[in-house]
Amino acid sequence: MSDFAPLAVMLIAGFGALALACVEQVVAGARPSPVRIARDAVLSLREPIARPQSYDGWLFHLAPALLLLSAIAALAMVPWAPGFRGIEVESGAIVFAAALAYVTPAVFMAGWGSGRPLAVVGAFRFLALMLGYAMPIAMITTAVAAPAGSLAPAAIVEVQHAVPMALVQPYSLALWLPAVMAVALLAPFDVATAPGELGGAGVFSRYTGLEAALVALARRVLLLAVAGMTAALFLGGWHGPLLPDALWMALKTLAVGAGLLWAGRVFPRVENDRLVAFAWTFAVPASIGAIALAGLTTLLFYR
Amino acid sequence: MNDVAVALVFWPVGALMLLTALYVFITSSMARAGLLLLAALALESILFIALASEYLGTLMLLMMSAEMVIMVFFMVMFMPDPGGLMGMDMTHDKRRSIAAAVVLSVALSAVAVATDWPARVLPPDAPDVRALGFEIMGRSMFSFLFAATAILFTMVGGILVAKQGGRYAR
Repeated sequence: MSDFAPLAVMLIAGFGALALACVEQVVAGARPSPVRIARDAVLSLREPIARPQSYDGWLFHLAPALLLLSAIAALAMVPWAPGFRGIEVESGAIVFAAALAYVTPAVFMAGWGSGRPLAVVGAFRFLALMLGYAMPIAMITTAVAAPAGSLAPAAIVEVQHAVPMALVQPYSLALWLPAVMAVALLAPFDVATAPGELGGAGVFSRYTGLEAALVALARRVLLLAVAGMTAALFLGGWHGPLLPDALWMALKTLAVGAGLLWAGRVFPRVENDRLVAFAWTFAVPASIGAIALAGLTTLLFYR
Repeated sequence: MNDVAVALVFWPVGALMLLTALYVFITSSMARAGLLLLAALALESILFIALASEYLGTLMLLMMSAEMVIMVFFMVMFMPDPGGLMGMDMTHDKRRSIAAAVVLSVALSAVAVATDWPARVLPPDAPDVRALGFEIMGRSMFSFLFAATAILFTMVGGILVAKQGGRYAR
């Protein structure tokens, strides 16, 4: 790992977020326009920062930074190419899950700190949702790490050189996707922001100026991190014929990102208690089953 | 990491940890108390990572976030003054609890300072470390797995029991 790895992660976060914002425009049926995104960002930065009428204003002002920090920490664990495996940590997949775990307090701080009833409702919805969906993320991480015998994401990519994990453990992918969509605040799991339902008063509705721009950036980086990790853990990462390794990884990440955004436009948002019930009555027990099956698969085919 | 780098992380993070831990008891807002406790425990996990216990530190970061979020959730739900706006005093029996806290922390600090810690630092591939690894991952694994499963079934069972009837019964 070179000393410039953190800088590279920052650059990937910036350009990747821009690329995913363009993908978002395409999925929404518009023409991709980085110029418009840049213009919106500049316009947003010119606004002053809003001060909420809240007793916990400092929580409100800390939340965007914590959100961005956890998104970038998660992104740093994504292995992009054999030559650049992100910030290399022995247990990178667990670090990824740990980083995502701090999205929940950040969203809670934003909603609670803004001191508006509907934003607090959004914050508590997200808490309830993530209590259920944080478990499958960590458990499925264990399930896909079993064949590699390592929690380093790069090692999990290496073990997929012949068969991608999505084919070996399709059930793990099916449990992983809703969980990462929930943590990345993507529709149909966007009960915390719920545009159109909370009357435009979701957890982030009070942010203006620099903080609104930070939240927007953090949400794209979060999407980039979960899409990148999905590509690495399930779709074989940089493995692929003909094209260079890093390009394969970039294409897979963008495809996963587009797929997640597309799912948000196709599936309707459902009530929070149904989402939570799905997590506790199906996703968590099924994740335990997935770990057991992964152990069996590992013993049969990977040893 | 060399000793200077460790010290540069250890002391400021340790001080901040103690400060946030202190504020947990000063604030009367349940949301703030829970989040400050999360901050204190997250900073403690950073201390673990700085002291080269990476896996344990990361795991603590992961677990503490979930646990403290649950705590915020339930404290705000059950406490009569969750926002700390009504000036409700959450402390009881102050003089005796302060005395007990001071005596206990002095005693624990004394133990930490007075203990004759082993000076020998084992390399990661030492036979002792290896034996410990085999013990944990081998013979002892069954009891760990049993405990884990028991905790999980308790959780699921608790939810099932709590879910009978009530406002949201389906």
